[in-house]
Amino acid sequence: MNIGILYSRIRKDEKLLLSELRERGHTVEKLDVRKLEFGVGDPPEGVADLDIVLDRCLATSRSRYATQFVDSYGVPVVNSPDTADLCADKAKTSIALDDAGVPTPETTVAFDTDSALSAIEEFGYPCVVKPVVGSWGRLMAKLESRSAAEAVLEHKATLGHYEHKVFYVQEYVEKPGRDIRVVAVDGEPVAAMTRSADHWLTNAAKGAQTKEFELTPEIESLVERASDAVGGGLLGVDLMETNAAQSAAEQSSGGEPRNPSYTVHEVNHTVEFKALNDCVDVDVPAAVVDWLEAKAETGVPA
Amino acid sequence: MTDCVECGAEVSLHEDLEVGEIVDCDTCGQELEVVDTEPPVLDRAPELDEDWGE
Repeated sequence: MNIGILYSRIRKDEKLLLSELRERGHTVEKLDVRKLEFGVGDPPEGVADLDIVLDRCLATSRSRYATQFVDSYGVPVVNSPDTADLCADKAKTSIALDDAGVPTPETTVAFDTDSALSAIEEFGYPCVVKPVVGSWGRLMAKLESRSAAEAVLEHKATLGHYEHKVFYVQEYVEKPGRDIRVVAVDGEPVAAMTRSADHWLTNAAKGAQTKEFELTPEIESLVERASDAVGGGLLGVDLMETNAAQSAAEQSSGGEPRNPSYTVHEVNHTVEFKALNDCVDVDVPAAVVDWLEAKAETGVPA
Repeated sequence: MTDCVECGAEVSLHEDLEVGEIVDCDTCGQELEVVDTEPPVLDRAPELDEDWGE
């Protein structure tokens, strides 16, 4: 097959994919989005002949537009531009998850520092303010007091890009020092891991410790529903255990252990999987390429 | 082996080098982007942008 990869930086994730694709005899067209010109109705050279294009853009803005253009040329692209659009924006993701009945942290969006402060006070402290676009745990604020909230809001309003004036306020979820990352293809889990840290942020990019996690039917169902909510594709679904701490306390005091509940706090559409691949027995890039081959053969609605 | 464009020190490169990959200069710490592989050519890697991620 002739497979295109949209990229601007080849991370270890992309190297693993490139290696797997070439070993299987596929022709890989590396599409550096910084060098391409996407004409309306006029694809960059070579793109129209591709069997499928995989979006691995590092920059969210490029991912959203490049997939939209490739889709408009009638070339199958994964993930779809609709999925990219939903997952690139935390507010849109929250709405999509909630609409689908997927448990997700309580969230309020406000467009003014006064209304944002009011929303924060309604949540109480601690609560969390996140950028609507962003990744790797950057620019996340856990607010412990009104004075901290006022300072963060003023900074965001004064120093930030206009997107920082979309104040995304969220409940602080008391999690057991870890969250769960599941990589899935069209809702079917490939593998999962926990990400543990003493810090409230447990992103692998922030140095969290990773460990293979055995999925339960409940989590598998949530991952499938979260994937469907954003249009499917190759996704990283992040969940938190919401009552694990209470359950452990009850168990230690002789009570019956309670099954943990989960909340889906993020769905990533250009998911990094190198950390997962290093801590599980599953060959993650091979599973991704299996899925990509199947998508190319059956055709992705473009 | 090629030279760091920032400090001029030699940068050792592995065999399966890929255009678009980032390598670090062990001497000055500069992130370097591989812009060609035959022969290897390195340039300063772009700075982190706010919308980068997954």
